[in-house]
Amino acid sequence: MSEILVLVDKAQDTVRNVTYEVLAAALKLKEKNGASISAVYIGDNAGSIESDLGKYGADKVYKIENPSLKDFNPSLYAHALSELVNKVGADIILGGNTLQNQDFLPRVASKTKGGLTTDAIDIDLTSSSTLQVKRYKYSGKSIATLSYHDVKPMIATIRLNAYKPVEAGAAGEAVSESIDIPADDNFKVIETNIIPKERPELTEADKIVSGGRGMANGENFKLCYDLADSVGAGAGASRAAVDSGWVPYEMQVGQTGKVVSPNLYIAVGISGSVQHYAGMGSSKVIVAINKDPDAPIFQKCDYGICGDLFDVLPALTDEIKKLG
Amino acid sequence: MKILVIVRQTPDTEAKIQTNSAGNGIQTDDIKWILNPFDEFAVEEAVQIKEKSNAEVVVLTVGSDKAVDAIRTALAMGGDSGVHIKDDAFADMDTYALAKVIGAKIKALGDIDLILAGKKWIDEESSQVPLQVAEELSIPQATLASKVEVDEGSKTAKVTSVIEGGERIIELKLPALITVEQGINEPRYASLPGIMKAKKKPCEEVGKGDINGDEIGISEGELGIDGSRYKNDAIEIPTITRSLKVIDGNDVQQASSELAKLLREEAKII
Repeated sequence: MSEILVLVDKAQDTVRNVTYEVLAAALKLKEKNGASISAVYIGDNAGSIESDLGKYGADKVYKIENPSLKDFNPSLYAHALSELVNKVGADIILGGNTLQNQDFLPRVASKTKGGLTTDAIDIDLTSSSTLQVKRYKYSGKSIATLSYHDVKPMIATIRLNAYKPVEAGAAGEAVSESIDIPADDNFKVIETNIIPKERPELTEADKIVSGGRGMANGENFKLCYDLADSVGAGAGASRAAVDSGWVPYEMQVGQTGKVVSPNLYIAVGISGSVQHYAGMGSSKVIVAINKDPDAPIFQKCDYGICGDLFDVLPALTDEIKKLG
Repeated sequence: MKILVIVRQTPDTEAKIQTNSAGNGIQTDDIKWILNPFDEFAVEEAVQIKEKSNAEVVVLTVGSDKAVDAIRTALAMGGDSGVHIKDDAFADMDTYALAKVIGAKIKALGDIDLILAGKKWIDEESSQVPLQVAEELSIPQATLASKVEVDEGSKTAKVTSVIEGGERIIELKLPALITVEQGINEPRYASLPGIMKAKKKPCEEVGKGDINGDEIGISEGELGIDGSRYKNDAIEIPTITRSLKVIDGNDVQQASSELAKLLREEAKII
Protein backbone atom coordinates (compact mmCIF):
# COMPACT_ATOMS: atom_id res chain seq x y z
CA MET A 1 0.00 0.00 0.00
CA SER A 2 1.27 3.43 -0.82
CA GLU A 3 2.35 5.71 1.96
CA ILE A 4 2.14 9.47 2.47
CA LEU A 5 4.70 10.97 4.81
CA VAL A 6 3.77 14.11 6.74
CA LEU A 7 6.56 16.08 8.42
CA VAL A 8 5.98 16.93 12.06
CA ASP A 9 6.73 20.49 13.10
CA LYS A 10 7.32 20.57 16.82
CA ALA A 11 8.14 23.61 18.91
CA GLN A 12 9.29 22.92 22.46
CA ASP A 13 6.85 20.30 23.72
CA THR A 14 3.93 20.79 21.39
CA VAL A 15 3.19 19.80 17.83
CA ARG A 16 2.52 23.01 15.90
CA ASN A 17 -0.88 23.46 14.31
CA VAL A 18 0.64 23.53 10.81
CA THR A 19 1.28 19.77 11.17
CA TYR A 20 -2.44 19.13 11.63
CA GLU A 21 -3.20 21.33 8.62
CA VAL A 22 -0.86 19.24 6.50
CA LEU A 23 -2.43 16.04 7.85
CA ALA A 24 -5.77 17.43 6.61
CA ALA A 25 -4.25 17.84 3.13
CA ALA A 26 -2.94 14.25 3.33
CA LEU A 27 -6.41 13.01 4.36
CA LYS A 28 -7.80 14.54 1.17
CA LEU A 29 -5.40 12.38 -0.89
CA LYS A 30 -6.06 9.32 1.27
CA GLU A 31 -9.76 9.53 0.46
CA LYS A 32 -8.87 9.07 -3.20
CA ASN A 33 -6.13 6.49 -3.17
CA GLY A 34 -6.49 4.79 0.21
CA ALA A 35 -2.87 5.47 1.10
CA SER A 36 -1.77 5.22 4.70
CA ILE A 37 -0.57 8.39 6.38
CA SER A 38 2.61 8.38 8.43
CA ALA A 39 3.82 11.36 10.39
CA VAL A 40 7.60 11.74 10.57
CA TYR A 41 9.41 13.32 13.47
CA ILE A 42 13.07 14.24 13.02
CA GLY A 43 14.92 15.59 16.05
CA ASP A 44 16.43 14.60 19.37
CA ASN A 45 13.33 13.96 21.43
CA ALA A 46 9.85 13.24 20.05
CA GLY A 47 8.03 12.79 23.33
CA SER A 48 4.51 11.31 23.25
CA ILE A 49 3.26 13.03 20.15
CA GLU A 50 1.51 10.01 18.65
CA SER A 51 -1.92 10.41 20.24
CA ASP A 52 -2.32 13.98 18.99
CA LEU A 53 -1.03 13.07 15.54
CA GLY A 54 -3.34 10.06 15.42
CA LYS A 55 -6.31 12.19 16.35
CA TYR A 56 -5.72 14.33 13.27
CA GLY A 57 -5.15 11.48 10.85
CA ALA A 58 -1.74 9.84 11.26
CA ASP A 59 -1.98 6.05 10.99
CA LYS A 60 1.64 5.74 12.01
CA VAL A 61 4.25 7.99 13.58
CA TYR A 62 7.90 7.43 12.65
CA LYS A 63 10.29 8.80 15.22
CA ILE A 64 13.81 9.45 14.02
CA GLU A 65 15.53 10.46 17.25
CA ASN A 66 19.22 11.17 17.53
CA PRO A 67 21.23 13.57 19.72
CA SER A 68 22.95 14.96 16.61
CA LEU A 69 19.55 16.01 15.25
CA LYS A 70 18.95 18.37 18.17
CA ASP A 71 19.92 21.46 16.18
CA PHE A 72 18.43 21.69 12.73
CA ASN A 73 21.10 20.87 10.15
CA PRO A 74 19.74 20.75 6.57
CA SER A 75 22.24 18.14 5.36
CA LEU A 76 21.61 15.76 8.26
CA TYR A 77 17.84 16.22 8.25
CA ALA A 78 17.86 15.57 4.49
CA HIS A 79 19.93 12.46 5.10
CA ALA A 80 17.55 11.20 7.79
CA LEU A 81 14.42 11.70 5.72
CA SER A 82 15.98 10.31 2.54
CA GLU A 83 17.07 7.16 4.40
CA LEU A 84 13.52 6.72 5.69
CA VAL A 85 12.16 7.15 2.17
CA ASN A 86 14.58 4.55 0.86
CA LYS A 87 13.50 2.18 3.59
CA VAL A 88 9.71 2.53 3.43
CA GLY A 89 9.40 3.59 -0.23
CA ALA A 90 7.06 6.54 0.34
CA ASP A 91 5.23 7.94 -2.69
CA ILE A 92 4.37 11.35 -1.36
CA ILE A 93 5.95 13.65 1.26
CA LEU A 94 4.07 16.67 2.58
CA GLY A 95 5.14 19.36 5.02
CA GLY A 96 4.13 22.86 6.03
CA ASN A 97 5.76 25.65 4.08
CA THR A 98 7.91 26.51 7.09
CA LEU A 99 11.38 28.01 6.84
CA GLN A 100 12.88 24.74 8.04
CA ASN A 101 11.08 22.64 5.44
CA GLN A 102 11.95 25.11 2.70
CA ASP A 103 15.53 24.81 3.86
CA PHE A 104 16.07 21.04 3.79
CA LEU A 105 13.45 19.54 1.44
CA PRO A 106 15.28 20.74 -1.72
CA ARG A 107 18.18 18.55 -0.65
CA VAL A 108 15.79 15.63 -0.05
CA ALA A 109 14.40 16.04 -3.57
CA SER A 110 17.86 15.94 -5.09
CA LYS A 111 19.03 13.05 -2.90
CA THR A 112 16.00 10.88 -3.63
CA LYS A 113 15.58 11.98 -7.27
CA GLY A 114 12.13 13.20 -6.34
CA GLY A 115 10.17 16.27 -7.34
CA LEU A 116 9.50 19.23 -5.05
CA THR A 117 7.13 22.17 -5.19
CA THR A 118 6.66 24.64 -2.36
CA ASP A 119 3.82 26.70 -0.89
CA ALA A 120 0.88 24.80 -2.40
CA ILE A 121 -2.52 26.37 -1.79
CA ASP A 122 -4.26 23.14 -2.82
CA ILE A 123 -3.20 19.60 -3.65
CA ASP A 124 -4.91 16.73 -5.41
CA LEU A 125 -4.20 13.55 -7.35
CA THR A 126 -4.27 13.33 -11.15
CA SER A 127 -6.16 10.54 -12.93
CA SER A 128 -2.86 8.66 -13.10
CA SER A 129 -2.44 9.01 -9.31
CA THR A 130 0.43 11.47 -9.42
CA LEU A 131 0.41 14.57 -7.28
CA GLN A 132 -1.13 17.77 -8.59
CA VAL A 133 -0.42 21.09 -6.94
CA LYS A 134 -1.88 24.58 -7.20
CA ARG A 135 0.46 27.39 -6.21
CA TYR A 136 1.02 31.06 -6.80
CA LYS A 137 3.50 32.20 -9.42
CA TYR A 138 4.72 35.74 -10.08
CA SER A 139 3.79 36.42 -6.45
CA GLY A 140 0.01 36.70 -6.18
CA LYS A 141 -0.38 37.63 -9.84
CA SER A 142 -1.16 34.14 -11.13
CA ILE A 143 -2.01 30.62 -9.98
CA ALA A 144 -0.24 27.70 -11.61
CA THR A 145 -1.41 24.08 -11.67
CA LEU A 146 1.47 21.61 -11.83
CA SER A 147 1.35 17.86 -12.13
CA TYR A 148 4.16 15.49 -11.25
CA HIS A 149 5.50 12.96 -13.69
CA ASP A 150 5.68 9.37 -12.52
CA VAL A 151 8.47 9.98 -9.99
CA LYS A 152 8.90 9.07 -6.37
CA PRO A 153 8.84 10.69 -3.97
CA MET A 154 6.52 13.54 -4.93
CA ILE A 155 7.25 16.24 -2.35
CA ALA A 156 5.26 19.39 -1.62
CA THR A 157 5.02 22.01 1.10
CA ILE A 158 1.61 23.42 1.94
CA ARG A 159 0.92 27.08 2.60
CA LEU A 160 0.06 27.85 6.22
CA ASN A 161 -3.69 28.30 6.83
CA ALA A 162 -4.53 26.65 3.47
CA TYR A 163 -6.15 23.62 5.15
CA LYS A 164 -8.11 23.32 8.37
CA PRO A 165 -7.24 20.46 10.71
CA VAL A 166 -9.71 17.56 10.59
CA GLU A 167 -10.25 15.12 13.43
CA ALA A 168 -9.91 11.69 11.86
CA GLY A 169 -9.26 9.40 14.81
CA ALA A 170 -6.49 7.31 13.23
CA ALA A 171 -4.32 4.86 15.15
CA GLY A 172 -1.16 6.94 15.48
CA GLU A 173 0.99 3.87 16.05
CA ALA A 174 4.49 4.94 17.15
CA VAL A 175 7.38 3.37 15.23
CA SER A 176 10.91 4.05 16.35
CA GLU A 177 13.28 4.31 13.39
CA SER A 178 16.97 4.08 14.03
CA ILE A 179 18.87 5.74 11.23
CA ASP A 180 22.62 6.24 11.34
CA ILE A 181 23.46 9.91 11.29
CA PRO A 182 26.96 10.65 10.00
CA ALA A 183 29.18 13.28 11.64
CA ASP A 184 29.11 16.66 9.89
CA ASP A 185 32.17 18.86 10.32
CA ASN A 186 31.02 21.33 7.68
CA PHE A 187 28.12 22.83 9.60
CA LYS A 188 28.24 24.01 13.18
CA VAL A 189 25.54 25.88 15.09
CA ILE A 190 27.28 28.38 17.36
CA GLU A 191 24.29 30.08 18.90
CA THR A 192 20.49 30.18 18.61
CA ASN A 193 18.51 33.20 19.72
CA ILE A 194 14.76 33.04 19.96
CA ILE A 195 13.50 36.61 19.84
CA PRO A 196 10.08 36.99 21.47
CA LYS A 197 7.65 38.62 19.06
CA GLU A 198 4.92 40.98 20.16
CA ARG A 199 2.62 40.01 17.30
CA PRO A 200 1.98 37.01 15.04
CA GLU A 201 4.44 36.32 12.19
CA LEU A 202 3.11 37.79 8.95
CA THR A 203 3.16 34.53 7.01
CA GLU A 204 1.17 32.79 9.76
CA ALA A 205 -1.11 35.64 10.81
CA ASP A 206 -4.87 35.29 10.46
CA LYS A 207 -5.19 39.10 10.36
CA ILE A 208 -2.73 41.80 9.32
CA VAL A 209 -2.70 45.59 9.67
CA SER A 210 -0.20 47.29 7.33
CA GLY A 211 0.85 50.92 7.13
CA GLY A 212 2.20 52.76 4.10
CA ARG A 213 3.49 56.12 2.97
CA GLY A 214 0.49 57.83 4.58
CA MET A 215 1.85 56.98 8.05
CA ALA A 216 4.37 59.82 7.52
CA ASN A 217 6.90 58.53 10.09
CA GLY A 218 7.88 55.59 12.25
CA GLU A 219 6.31 56.82 15.50
CA ASN A 220 2.89 57.01 13.88
CA PHE A 221 2.99 53.25 13.33
CA LYS A 222 1.91 52.97 16.96
CA LEU A 223 -1.60 53.74 15.65
CA CYS A 224 -1.36 50.68 13.36
CA TYR A 225 -0.04 48.52 16.22
CA ASP A 226 -2.93 49.60 18.46
CA LEU A 227 -5.43 48.58 15.80
CA ALA A 228 -3.52 45.34 15.17
CA ASP A 229 -3.51 44.47 18.87
CA SER A 230 -7.25 45.13 19.16
CA VAL A 231 -7.90 42.22 16.75
CA GLY A 232 -4.79 40.11 17.45
CA ALA A 233 -3.28 40.93 14.07
CA GLY A 234 0.27 40.91 12.74
CA ALA A 235 1.80 44.23 11.67
CA GLY A 236 3.03 44.85 8.13
CA ALA A 237 4.10 47.72 5.94
CA SER A 238 4.40 48.76 2.32
CA ARG A 239 7.74 49.08 0.58
CA ALA A 240 7.49 52.87 0.75
CA ALA A 241 7.36 52.76 4.56
CA VAL A 242 10.26 50.29 4.76
CA ASP A 243 12.41 52.21 2.25
CA SER A 244 11.82 55.39 4.26
CA GLY A 245 13.35 53.62 7.25
CA TRP A 246 10.22 53.92 9.38
CA VAL A 247 9.94 50.19 10.10
CA PRO A 248 12.23 47.15 9.56
CA TYR A 249 12.22 45.27 6.26
CA GLU A 250 10.81 42.13 7.97
CA MET A 251 7.50 43.96 7.93
CA GLN A 252 7.44 44.50 4.17
CA VAL A 253 4.46 42.97 2.39
CA GLY A 254 4.54 42.80 -1.40
CA GLN A 255 6.24 41.23 -4.35
CA THR A 256 9.70 42.07 -3.01
CA GLY A 257 8.72 41.41 0.60
CA LYS A 258 6.46 38.82 2.17
CA VAL A 259 3.59 37.26 0.28
CA VAL A 260 0.65 36.84 2.67
CA SER A 261 -2.94 35.66 2.50
CA PRO A 262 -4.67 36.32 5.82
CA ASN A 263 -8.41 36.29 6.38
CA LEU A 264 -8.34 40.03 7.05
CA TYR A 265 -5.89 42.55 5.59
CA ILE A 266 -6.21 46.20 6.62
CA ALA A 267 -4.18 48.56 4.41
CA VAL A 268 -3.65 51.94 6.06
CA GLY A 269 -2.30 54.84 4.04
CA ILE A 270 -1.30 52.43 1.28
CA SER A 271 -2.18 53.45 -2.27
CA GLY A 272 -2.28 49.86 -3.53
CA SER A 273 0.46 49.48 -6.16
CA VAL A 274 0.64 46.39 -8.38
CA GLN A 275 3.65 45.22 -6.36
CA HIS A 276 1.90 45.56 -3.01
CA TYR A 277 -1.25 43.87 -4.28
CA ALA A 278 0.86 40.98 -5.60
CA GLY A 279 1.83 40.31 -1.99
CA MET A 280 -1.60 40.46 -0.36
CA GLY A 281 -4.22 40.27 -3.15
CA SER A 282 -5.27 36.76 -2.16
CA SER A 283 -6.37 37.91 1.33
CA LYS A 284 -9.97 36.94 2.06
CA VAL A 285 -11.20 40.37 3.15
CA ILE A 286 -9.32 43.56 2.29
CA VAL A 287 -10.00 46.82 4.14
CA ALA A 288 -8.54 50.15 2.97
CA ILE A 289 -8.12 53.36 4.94
CA ASN A 290 -6.90 56.23 2.83
CA LYS A 291 -7.67 59.92 2.43
CA ASP A 292 -7.24 59.88 -1.35
CA PRO A 293 -10.55 58.82 -2.97
CA ASP A 294 -8.63 58.01 -6.17
CA ALA A 295 -6.18 55.63 -4.49
CA PRO A 296 -6.13 52.37 -6.53
CA ILE A 297 -6.65 50.36 -3.32
CA PHE A 298 -10.29 51.53 -3.26
CA GLN A 299 -10.83 49.59 -6.49
CA LYS A 300 -9.45 46.40 -4.93
CA CYS A 301 -10.95 46.31 -1.43
CA ASP A 302 -14.03 44.90 0.23
CA TYR A 303 -14.47 47.70 2.74
CA GLY A 304 -12.90 51.06 3.18
CA ILE A 305 -13.03 54.43 4.82
CA CYS A 306 -12.06 57.42 2.75
CA GLY A 307 -10.68 59.72 5.42
CA ASP A 308 -7.67 60.88 7.41
CA LEU A 309 -5.99 57.84 8.91
CA PHE A 310 -4.86 59.82 11.95
CA ASP A 311 -8.52 60.31 12.89
CA VAL A 312 -9.81 56.98 11.61
CA LEU A 313 -7.28 54.64 13.28
CA PRO A 314 -7.95 55.63 16.91
CA ALA A 315 -11.71 55.79 16.30
CA LEU A 316 -11.77 52.38 14.59
CA THR A 317 -9.61 50.83 17.33
CA ASP A 318 -12.09 52.16 19.91
CA GLU A 319 -15.12 50.89 18.01
CA ILE A 320 -13.60 47.42 17.69
CA LYS A 321 -12.78 47.33 21.39
CA LYS A 322 -16.38 48.35 22.13
CA LEU A 323 -17.66 45.33 20.18
CA GLY A 324 -15.58 43.21 22.57
CA MET B 1 39.02 33.27 -3.40
CA LYS B 2 36.32 32.76 -5.99
CA ILE B 3 32.67 33.58 -5.35
CA LEU B 4 29.87 32.50 -7.67
CA VAL B 5 26.45 34.16 -7.58
CA ILE B 6 23.49 32.31 -9.05
CA VAL B 7 21.08 34.86 -10.51
CA ARG B 8 17.78 34.81 -12.33
CA GLN B 9 16.12 37.12 -14.81
CA THR B 10 12.50 37.81 -13.85
CA PRO B 11 9.68 39.99 -15.14
CA ASP B 12 9.75 43.51 -13.74
CA THR B 13 7.70 43.82 -10.55
CA GLU B 14 5.42 46.25 -12.36
CA ALA B 15 4.77 43.79 -15.19
CA LYS B 16 1.20 42.81 -15.86
CA ILE B 17 1.03 39.04 -16.01
CA GLN B 18 -1.22 37.55 -18.69
CA THR B 19 -1.58 33.94 -19.75
CA ASN B 20 -0.38 32.76 -23.15
CA SER B 21 -2.71 31.21 -25.74
CA ALA B 22 -1.85 27.67 -24.64
CA GLY B 23 -2.89 28.58 -21.11
CA ASN B 24 0.20 27.02 -19.53
CA GLY B 25 2.57 29.95 -19.47
CA ILE B 26 2.62 33.73 -19.62
CA GLN B 27 2.83 36.25 -22.44
CA THR B 28 6.42 37.39 -22.47
CA ASP B 29 6.52 39.80 -25.42
CA ASP B 30 5.70 43.11 -23.78
CA ILE B 31 7.35 42.45 -20.47
CA LYS B 32 10.37 44.31 -19.17
CA TRP B 33 12.88 41.87 -17.66
CA ILE B 34 15.07 42.63 -14.68
CA LEU B 35 17.61 41.03 -12.39
CA ASN B 36 15.53 39.27 -9.70
CA PRO B 37 15.29 41.92 -6.94
CA PHE B 38 16.34 39.46 -4.21
CA ASP B 39 19.46 38.53 -6.22
CA GLU B 40 20.69 42.13 -6.00
CA PHE B 41 21.43 41.51 -2.32
CA ALA B 42 23.51 38.42 -3.21
CA VAL B 43 25.47 40.27 -5.89
CA GLU B 44 26.08 43.20 -3.50
CA GLU B 45 27.26 40.84 -0.76
CA ALA B 46 29.69 39.15 -3.18
CA VAL B 47 31.06 42.49 -4.33
CA GLN B 48 31.48 43.68 -0.72
CA ILE B 49 33.42 40.52 0.14
CA LYS B 50 35.52 41.08 -2.99
CA GLU B 51 36.29 44.64 -1.94
CA LYS B 52 37.57 43.38 1.40
CA SER B 53 39.50 40.38 0.22
CA ASN B 54 40.43 40.53 -3.43
CA ALA B 55 38.01 37.80 -4.36
CA GLU B 56 36.83 37.15 -7.90
CA VAL B 57 33.07 37.24 -8.54
CA VAL B 58 31.48 35.04 -11.20
CA VAL B 59 27.79 35.53 -12.05
CA LEU B 60 25.86 32.54 -13.41
CA THR B 61 22.40 32.30 -14.92
CA VAL B 62 20.32 29.92 -17.00
CA GLY B 63 18.04 31.50 -19.56
CA SER B 64 17.45 32.54 -23.14
CA ASP B 65 19.44 35.20 -25.06
CA LYS B 66 17.91 38.10 -23.15
CA ALA B 67 18.95 36.66 -19.77
CA VAL B 68 22.46 37.96 -20.46
CA ASP B 69 21.10 41.36 -19.38
CA ALA B 70 20.70 40.05 -15.82
CA ILE B 71 24.37 39.02 -15.88
CA ARG B 72 25.38 42.42 -17.29
CA THR B 73 23.50 44.20 -14.51
CA ALA B 74 25.37 42.12 -11.93
CA LEU B 75 28.68 42.78 -13.70
CA ALA B 76 27.91 46.50 -13.69
CA MET B 77 27.48 46.25 -9.91
CA GLY B 78 31.01 44.85 -9.67
CA GLY B 79 30.99 41.21 -10.78
CA ASP B 80 34.03 40.14 -12.81
CA SER B 81 32.73 37.60 -15.31
CA GLY B 82 29.59 35.82 -16.38
CA VAL B 83 28.49 32.28 -17.20
CA HIS B 84 25.37 32.22 -19.34
CA ILE B 85 23.89 28.76 -19.70
CA LYS B 86 21.49 28.82 -22.63
CA ASP B 87 20.13 26.13 -24.85
CA ASP B 88 16.67 25.49 -26.25
CA ALA B 89 16.86 22.11 -24.55
CA PHE B 90 17.05 23.94 -21.23
CA ALA B 91 13.83 25.93 -21.63
CA ASP B 92 10.95 25.17 -19.24
CA MET B 93 12.95 22.89 -16.97
CA ASP B 94 11.70 22.35 -13.45
CA THR B 95 13.85 23.10 -10.42
CA TYR B 96 15.30 19.59 -10.23
CA ALA B 97 16.56 19.64 -13.80
CA LEU B 98 17.76 23.23 -13.47
CA ALA B 99 19.80 22.40 -10.37
CA LYS B 100 21.39 19.45 -12.22
CA VAL B 101 22.51 21.69 -15.07
CA ILE B 102 23.82 24.44 -12.79
CA GLY B 103 25.48 21.90 -10.48
CA ALA B 104 27.26 20.22 -13.38
CA LYS B 105 28.62 23.52 -14.66
CA ILE B 106 29.82 24.65 -11.23
CA LYS B 107 31.54 21.29 -10.76
CA ALA B 108 33.27 21.78 -14.09
CA LEU B 109 34.42 25.27 -13.02
CA GLY B 110 36.03 23.48 -10.11
CA ASP B 111 37.50 26.16 -7.89
CA ILE B 112 34.50 27.98 -6.38
CA ASP B 113 34.85 28.72 -2.64
CA LEU B 114 31.51 30.36 -1.96
CA ILE B 115 28.17 30.36 -3.78
CA LEU B 116 25.67 33.11 -3.01
CA ALA B 117 22.04 33.43 -4.11
CA GLY B 118 18.98 35.54 -3.37
CA LYS B 119 16.37 34.17 -0.98
CA LYS B 120 13.67 33.70 -3.62
CA TRP B 121 12.96 34.00 -7.33
CA ILE B 122 9.99 36.32 -7.68
CA ASP B 123 8.78 34.67 -10.88
CA GLU B 124 8.71 31.04 -9.70
CA GLU B 125 8.02 32.05 -6.08
CA SER B 126 10.69 29.53 -5.26
CA SER B 127 13.84 29.36 -3.18
CA GLN B 128 14.81 25.81 -3.91
CA VAL B 129 17.14 25.78 -6.91
CA PRO B 130 20.28 27.07 -5.14
CA LEU B 131 19.69 24.59 -2.30
CA GLN B 132 19.33 21.70 -4.73
CA VAL B 133 22.60 22.87 -6.29
CA ALA B 134 24.21 22.66 -2.83
CA GLU B 135 23.06 19.05 -2.59
CA GLU B 136 24.37 18.26 -6.10
CA LEU B 137 27.74 19.61 -5.01
CA SER B 138 27.58 17.98 -1.55
CA ILE B 139 28.42 21.25 0.17
CA PRO B 140 26.89 22.78 3.32
CA GLN B 141 24.33 25.55 3.15
CA ALA B 142 22.89 28.38 5.20
CA THR B 143 19.71 30.19 4.24
CA LEU B 144 18.31 33.68 4.83
CA ALA B 145 21.62 35.15 5.93
CA SER B 146 21.39 38.58 7.53
CA LYS B 147 25.17 38.68 8.02
CA VAL B 148 28.07 36.83 6.36
CA GLU B 149 31.68 36.91 7.56
CA VAL B 150 34.20 34.98 5.49
CA ASP B 151 37.48 33.88 7.04
CA GLU B 152 39.84 33.01 4.21
CA GLY B 153 42.52 31.70 6.54
CA SER B 154 40.37 29.00 8.14
CA LYS B 155 38.23 28.61 5.01
CA THR B 156 35.02 29.15 6.94
CA ALA B 157 32.04 31.48 6.83
CA LYS B 158 30.20 32.67 9.91
CA VAL B 159 26.57 33.28 9.01
CA THR B 160 23.69 34.82 10.94
CA SER B 161 20.54 33.15 9.63
CA VAL B 162 16.89 34.06 10.08
CA ILE B 163 14.94 31.14 11.55
CA GLU B 164 11.37 30.75 12.72
CA GLY B 165 11.02 32.93 15.78
CA GLY B 166 14.53 34.35 15.80
CA GLU B 167 18.00 33.87 14.39
CA ARG B 168 21.03 31.67 14.77
CA ILE B 169 24.71 31.84 14.06
CA ILE B 170 26.22 29.04 12.01
CA GLU B 171 29.77 28.29 10.99
CA LEU B 172 30.13 26.69 7.57
CA LYS B 173 33.22 25.11 6.11
CA LEU B 174 33.92 26.40 2.61
CA PRO B 175 33.04 25.69 -0.11
CA ALA B 176 29.47 26.45 0.93
CA LEU B 177 26.27 27.92 -0.41
CA ILE B 178 24.50 30.81 1.30
CA THR B 179 21.19 32.44 0.40
CA VAL B 180 20.91 35.99 1.67
CA GLU B 181 17.99 37.76 3.29
CA GLN B 182 16.62 40.99 1.94
CA GLY B 183 18.17 43.91 3.80
CA ILE B 184 21.55 42.22 4.49
CA ASN B 185 23.05 45.20 2.66
CA GLU B 186 22.01 48.05 0.42
CA PRO B 187 22.54 47.00 -3.18
CA ARG B 188 24.36 49.70 -5.14
CA TYR B 189 22.97 51.10 -8.35
CA ALA B 190 24.99 50.22 -11.41
CA SER B 191 26.85 53.43 -12.32
CA LEU B 192 27.22 54.53 -15.92
CA PRO B 193 30.96 53.75 -15.96
CA GLY B 194 30.08 50.42 -14.33
CA ILE B 195 27.63 49.67 -17.11
CA MET B 196 30.19 50.62 -19.78
CA LYS B 197 32.82 48.42 -18.13
CA ALA B 198 30.37 45.52 -17.78
CA LYS B 199 30.00 45.35 -21.55
CA LYS B 200 33.67 44.47 -21.87
CA LYS B 201 33.76 41.88 -19.11
CA PRO B 202 33.98 38.25 -20.25
CA CYS B 203 30.78 36.19 -20.37
CA GLU B 204 31.03 32.53 -21.25
CA GLU B 205 28.14 31.00 -23.17
CA VAL B 206 27.42 27.42 -22.26
CA GLY B 207 25.26 25.09 -24.37
CA LYS B 208 23.97 21.59 -23.75
CA GLY B 209 27.03 20.11 -25.45
CA ASP B 210 29.25 21.83 -22.91
CA ILE B 211 27.53 20.29 -19.91
CA ASN B 212 28.86 16.97 -18.72
CA GLY B 213 26.05 15.01 -17.11
CA ASP B 214 28.57 12.57 -15.64
CA GLU B 215 29.64 15.34 -13.26
CA ILE B 216 26.37 14.97 -11.41
CA GLY B 217 25.49 11.43 -12.39
CA ILE B 218 22.76 11.82 -14.98
CA SER B 219 22.44 10.54 -18.51
CA GLU B 220 22.40 12.88 -21.47
CA GLY B 221 18.73 12.12 -22.02
CA GLU B 222 17.90 13.41 -18.58
CA LEU B 223 19.79 16.66 -19.08
CA GLY B 224 17.18 19.31 -19.73
CA ILE B 225 13.42 19.20 -19.81
CA ASP B 226 13.30 15.38 -19.81
CA GLY B 227 14.91 15.40 -16.39
CA SER B 228 12.05 17.46 -14.98
CA ARG B 229 9.92 15.98 -12.22
CA TYR B 230 6.72 17.86 -13.03
CA LYS B 231 5.17 20.03 -15.68
CA ASN B 232 3.01 23.12 -15.85
CA ASP B 233 -0.56 22.17 -16.72
CA ALA B 234 -2.15 25.56 -16.54
CA ILE B 235 -1.68 29.07 -15.35
CA GLU B 236 -4.56 31.37 -14.54
CA ILE B 237 -4.99 34.92 -13.36
CA PRO B 238 -6.95 34.92 -10.11
CA THR B 239 -10.05 37.04 -10.20
CA ILE B 240 -11.42 37.92 -6.83
CA THR B 241 -14.53 40.05 -6.83
CA ARG B 242 -14.34 42.65 -4.11
CA SER B 243 -17.40 44.32 -2.68
CA LEU B 244 -15.89 47.87 -2.82
CA LYS B 245 -17.95 49.25 0.07
CA VAL B 246 -16.16 52.53 0.73
CA ILE B 247 -17.53 54.70 3.52
CA ASP B 248 -17.13 58.49 3.52
CA GLY B 249 -14.92 59.40 6.47
CA ASN B 250 -16.16 62.93 7.05
CA ASP B 251 -17.90 61.79 10.20
CA VAL B 252 -15.10 59.67 11.62
CA GLN B 253 -17.05 58.21 14.57
CA GLN B 254 -19.95 57.20 12.36
CA ALA B 255 -17.70 55.73 9.65
CA SER B 256 -15.58 53.78 12.15
CA SER B 257 -18.61 52.38 13.92
CA GLU B 258 -20.12 51.33 10.59
CA LEU B 259 -16.90 49.63 9.44
CA ALA B 260 -16.48 47.78 12.75
CA LYS B 261 -20.07 46.57 12.45
CA LEU B 262 -19.60 45.42 8.84
CA LEU B 263 -16.49 43.47 9.80
CA ARG B 264 -18.33 41.82 12.69
CA GLU B 265 -21.76 41.17 11.20
CA GLU B 266 -21.30 40.97 7.43
CA ALA B 267 -17.73 39.73 6.95
CA LYS B 268 -17.81 37.87 10.30
CA ILE B 269 -14.09 38.38 10.52
CA ILE B 270 -13.56 40.11 13.89
